[in-house]
Amino acid sequence: MVLVLAIGDLHIPHRASDLPQKFKSMLVPGKIQHIICTGNLSIKEVHDYLKSLCPDLHVTRGEYDEDSRYPETKTLTIGQFKLGICHGHQVIPWGDLDSLAMLQRQLDVDILVTGHTHQFKAYKHEGGVVINPGSATGAYSSFTFDVNPSFVLMDIDGLRVVVYVYELIDGEVKVDKIDFKKTATTRLAH
Amino acid sequence: MVKKKVPDWLNSSLWSTTTAPPPPDDDRPQRYAAPKPVAAAASAAEPPVPVVAPPAPAPTHVHAPVPVPVPPRDVVSVQQEPPKPQVIVSDTRPSNSDRNDDENGSFVQPQLLSELSKKVINVRELRRIAMQGIPDGAGIRSTVWKLLLGYLPPDRGLWPSELAKKRSQYKHFKDDLLVNPSEITRRLDKSTIYESEEWKCESSGFLSRSEITHDEHPLSLGKSSIWNQFFQDSEIMEQIDRDVKRTHPDMHFFSGDSSFAKSNQEALKNILIVFAKLNPGIRYVQGMNEILAPLYYVFKSDPDEEFSVSAEADTFFCFVELLSGFRDNFCQQLDNSVVGIRSTITRLSQLLKEHDEELWRHLEVTTKVNPQFYAFRWITLLLTQEFNFADSLHIWDTLLSDPDGPQETLLRVCCAMLILIRRRLLAGDFTSNLKLLQNYPPTNISHLLYVANKLRTLG
Repeated sequence: MVLVLAIGDLHIPHRASDLPQKFKSMLVPGKIQHIICTGNLSIKEVHDYLKSLCPDLHVTRGEYDEDSRYPETKTLTIGQFKLGICHGHQVIPWGDLDSLAMLQRQLDVDILVTGHTHQFKAYKHEGGVVINPGSATGAYSSFTFDVNPSFVLMDIDGLRVVVYVYELIDGEVKVDKIDFKKTATTRLAH
Repeated sequence: MVKKKVPDWLNSSLWSTTTAPPPPDDDRPQRYAAPKPVAAAASAAEPPVPVVAPPAPAPTHVHAPVPVPVPPRDVVSVQQEPPKPQVIVSDTRPSNSDRNDDENGSFVQPQLLSELSKKVINVRELRRIAMQGIPDGAGIRSTVWKLLLGYLPPDRGLWPSELAKKRSQYKHFKDDLLVNPSEITRRLDKSTIYESEEWKCESSGFLSRSEITHDEHPLSLGKSSIWNQFFQDSEIMEQIDRDVKRTHPDMHFFSGDSSFAKSNQEALKNILIVFAKLNPGIRYVQGMNEILAPLYYVFKSDPDEEFSVSAEADTFFCFVELLSGFRDNFCQQLDNSVVGIRSTITRLSQLLKEHDEELWRHLEVTTKVNPQFYAFRWITLLLTQEFNFADSLHIWDTLLSDPDGPQETLLRVCCAMLILIRRRLLAGDFTSNLKLLQNYPPTNISHLLYVANKLRTLG
């Protein structure tokens, strides 16, 4: 039972000042084992805040990040799953699911977490699953101003992942869940 | 020496320990070695051999009763004064009238065996015999303790059904309480018709979202959320884990890297966690692991394979039973109440005053050694920390066989502990007395229990 937080595109302080209060009250240290951040934090203070929630933090570089040392992509293995992270501004057209699927095959991961579009998405294709946690602060994106704050918490338990989607809609936190399993012999191993 | 209310027999040189206690370490490895062969020889279906015919089983019985000249005897001889060397052998004890170890060892075991083999066991009779001590070698301690604690009914015929019932009950407890929230949600999902998305090559598309019920998500702060409860419980689980790892670090049974030790630790943890969850009023308090350890050890070392395998379940119920008499000691709010630990310590004080006023006055008034400094640990942990493991098993034989409950006997034994070292206490000041009492010197357990028993009649 491993809890992994996927969060990103906070754009603090340029486009938003802070996480919504309701999100902050839920994100307490001690519950989450890993944090995956798609990028665009954008400043060190946000990095420190996330680090205080969980020491195991993985960040990839977004185009507005002030710390240029974050990598462009990152892969890690949690339990039986391989996860990949990438901010997504590098993948053109932005948000295009086929291109993201290409990136996923390149990284050879089961779950790809990307951002940049500030819209939550969970998409499945034969190479794996793409999850976009959206923007945790509801910052405006290159496409639209109408953004609901959202983030994602994944519960990885053996070969099964339960994805809890937290969205702030009209001032209330709405939580949904998505369930998927991986069969043991799904990928062409290499 | 002016004696006030200290009977003559108590002042005989027989009872005092010498000022230089022999190094206990010599004894320990052998004494700890003995229980292991008992456990190992468990499956070697060792038939209960009457204690008097000893030389044959001598190799396995380092603990062999006194008649057999066994190495520990020579190494450890506490009392030099009495004509017959009284050895710290955790052995069968003299009866009230007869201090001769030889003969009594041979009385107790056959008595116990004959009582146990009856179809309906007379528990009162069993208590009376067990009070004298249960011999180590025959591996019957496990069964006797279960009977004394009321876990096994006196009627032998009911044993299989009772045991099966209790063991399955424990299994249900474990299934319900030891499961993490992921598991719970998975089981709930299975029961609904919802099918989780399979990772098959056929479909691509957006994954469907589903509603969750009742705020049941991992970050939930709701009181009724299983996730929230899980995270709150995790503190207790961590503490239990830490304490279990520290239990008896010198014994292979409990500590070390062997898979045997690890599985024993797992079992101890499970029992404590289940207990804590079933008793939200008292949860887990440091020290419960020490009370649990001897119980589990004895039950796991049962030569009967069937019992040994289900030791965890049996220990759980016996632990509950044993603790039921002592719960109030662990509840902080009750500390100052009539049933709490403070009042128990006061009773010990009173007992000492009754039996040995001079010592009482010296300790409490002159040197101001507050009994709470030493008696707290003695009483709450049932003397497991004061003596080595094998000796404490013997003391527990007597404690558990008291029909009025262990508390009374416990106080008498504590009082006896004080009286036995009275010479040193009377000669000491606050510091030395406190040091002495917090590191109680090794002593002959038979004497100790004999004295404790005498106190009952003199009371």
